[in-house]
Amino acid sequence: MIELIIIVPLVAGLVAFFLPLTMARPLLVLIGAVHLLLSTLLWLQRPLALLPDYFAITPEGLLSLIVISLLFFLISIYTTAYLDATRIHSENFFSGALLVFLASMTMVTLSDHLMVMWIAIEATTLASAPLIYTHRSAASFEATWKYVLICSVGIALALLGSLLIALSMDVGGVDAPVAFSALAQEAPRLAPVWLKAGFVFILVGYGTKMGLAPMHTWLPDAHSEAPSPVSALLSGVLLNCAFLGIFKTHKIMHAAGLGDFSGTILIFFGLASIIAAATFIIKQSEYKRLLAYSSIENMGIIALGTGIGGLGAYGAMLCLIHHSLIKSSLFLSAGNVLIGYGERTIAGTGRLVRMMPKTFVAFISGFAGISGFPPFGIFIGELLIIMAALRGGHFVAAAVFILSIAVIFAGFSRHVIQISFGANAGPDRLEEHAAMVWPQYMLLFTSLVLFIWMPGTLNQTIRLAVAAIGGGF
Amino acid sequence: MTNPVETLLVLVLLSVLSALGSSRLPSLIKVLSFQGLVVSIVPLFMGHEMNTGSIIFTLVTFLIRAFAIPLYIYVAIRRVAIRREANPIVGYHASLLLGLVLIVAAIAVSPKFNLPMPQGRPLMLPTAVTLVVAGMFLIMSRRNAIAMVLGYMMMENGIYLVGTGFSLRAQHIVEFGILLDVLAGVMIMAVILQHIKQAFDSLDTARLTTLKE
Repeated sequence: MIELIIIVPLVAGLVAFFLPLTMARPLLVLIGAVHLLLSTLLWLQRPLALLPDYFAITPEGLLSLIVISLLFFLISIYTTAYLDATRIHSENFFSGALLVFLASMTMVTLSDHLMVMWIAIEATTLASAPLIYTHRSAASFEATWKYVLICSVGIALALLGSLLIALSMDVGGVDAPVAFSALAQEAPRLAPVWLKAGFVFILVGYGTKMGLAPMHTWLPDAHSEAPSPVSALLSGVLLNCAFLGIFKTHKIMHAAGLGDFSGTILIFFGLASIIAAATFIIKQSEYKRLLAYSSIENMGIIALGTGIGGLGAYGAMLCLIHHSLIKSSLFLSAGNVLIGYGERTIAGTGRLVRMMPKTFVAFISGFAGISGFPPFGIFIGELLIIMAALRGGHFVAAAVFILSIAVIFAGFSRHVIQISFGANAGPDRLEEHAAMVWPQYMLLFTSLVLFIWMPGTLNQTIRLAVAAIGGGF
Repeated sequence: MTNPVETLLVLVLLSVLSALGSSRLPSLIKVLSFQGLVVSIVPLFMGHEMNTGSIIFTLVTFLIRAFAIPLYIYVAIRRVAIRREANPIVGYHASLLLGLVLIVAAIAVSPKFNLPMPQGRPLMLPTAVTLVVAGMFLIMSRRNAIAMVLGYMMMENGIYLVGTGFSLRAQHIVEFGILLDVLAGVMIMAVILQHIKQAFDSLDTARLTTLKE
């Protein structure tokens, strides 16, 4: 009965549309808690699906699901305070869309059918579009328009890719359900040409949504114009959902003996994204766009690690989890900065350490984490990817990767120093709400704990997930 | 007697050319409505076994693609009273010529794919390819946002042809989900367009440059 976890937020979201304006706030936190509870139960019990043709529990799905649950719960707490601090048109609509968005992302993590996966990812676009134009400014409509159009076209290509994979079954004479799990078993008999074509289309399609360069153009706009809790969700979990679609297709490719082909393409797009992010981060003038480009970088790193395989795939999974935790905390902190200073540009901020000391702690730790410093998990993830690249003989890829993250660190730290210690004539102390600081601390603390001590079941699940693409130790 | 599917596909190809040459939005919408109508009745003539479920599904697709979506967009442009020009980056004559080249290229290339053509329907794959590429071309070459939405619909028509023409596996419930997604997508696009119109007083995407980088 795993479908329950999709239905609960969906129904709650539909109810929230009709609630009086501020009534939906406690509902957000409540559903967040229920969702977290349900996904913990799923993790422990691993029950069967009611519709086994369409849904199934997979290790990579579980990993994404638990991250979604945890993030949504903490972000919902932040959101209640955020809604107090800002003025938002039709707040019930905002909360409702947020819950439907949660339902659609949950559906992505649990779907096993190619087409259901497509429907779910498209549904995430549709549910998140109203969230991005919450502020109803001209720029936010422009961002939403770009987001919906670019992602719809991208996802239409992914649909074509899914159909091509179905075609490879027809050509190969395979009679099985169009499900990822069934296809992975039958993979050697699929027609390789169409499978390859399908993978390319799916990678370009879902890659658009995941923010891989050069299809990333919607991402900085959407992330910077959306309200900060939404940016945190977009960056923290939506990108992971799109990656899941690519990862599952890569699994089929690996099972069909075409893992080298798909891996090379993944490495190419991964490096392209890292380089693109490095180029734009240096000259960035707005801090939310800065974080958005950093997400593109991290998605590139994850694609790179997955493409390299072996240790790298394990590292990519670690990066996936820790990027979600750390980047969402950074976006929430950026939300505090935006509320406090009322200014989007980096030049308009400064003296964060004096004016918002609690936010400063979260922001600077998040920066350390995202740049790959211990004691946060991205450090291990990136280290493993570099080791795997060197071991696998991808010397050029490793060199480009290391150079780019060094450039990104240099650019990023210059901006962070301006935000934290730069000159600003503002008041000595700005107000900081506890509910708008603790969620960030919790997220960073989780990353820290997972760095020091990883529960056995988590380690096992990651290993199971990457074993299917030839990853692991 | 000639095959009705081939006739329908020829009509689809003609509608692509007509769409590329349309300068006014209402006529572009009519062409897309016609195209949706033709594409959605193709499965009826494919010679597959049709049960009640698939006939109902085809009918619903027919209603949504041929009437509901075009009508909705038509009402939307009436309401925002925007300029009726498609406002091309690539001119209409050049677009037409490109469309012709595209069709010829698609027909020339398709046999090389070596596909098991469903019951010897040589035009199926070229038409689908033409629709997808021409749709993307419309999105890229028109500045008017409504024309972009229509280009997106043309792309979806092409993908629908790939789905119905080549694979019988995708169950109808899934196809229905896809249809609903597309429907909702177009509606959301139209809603955003109305807001953009209010904010910028134009649907010319060349003005959407605030976030340029």
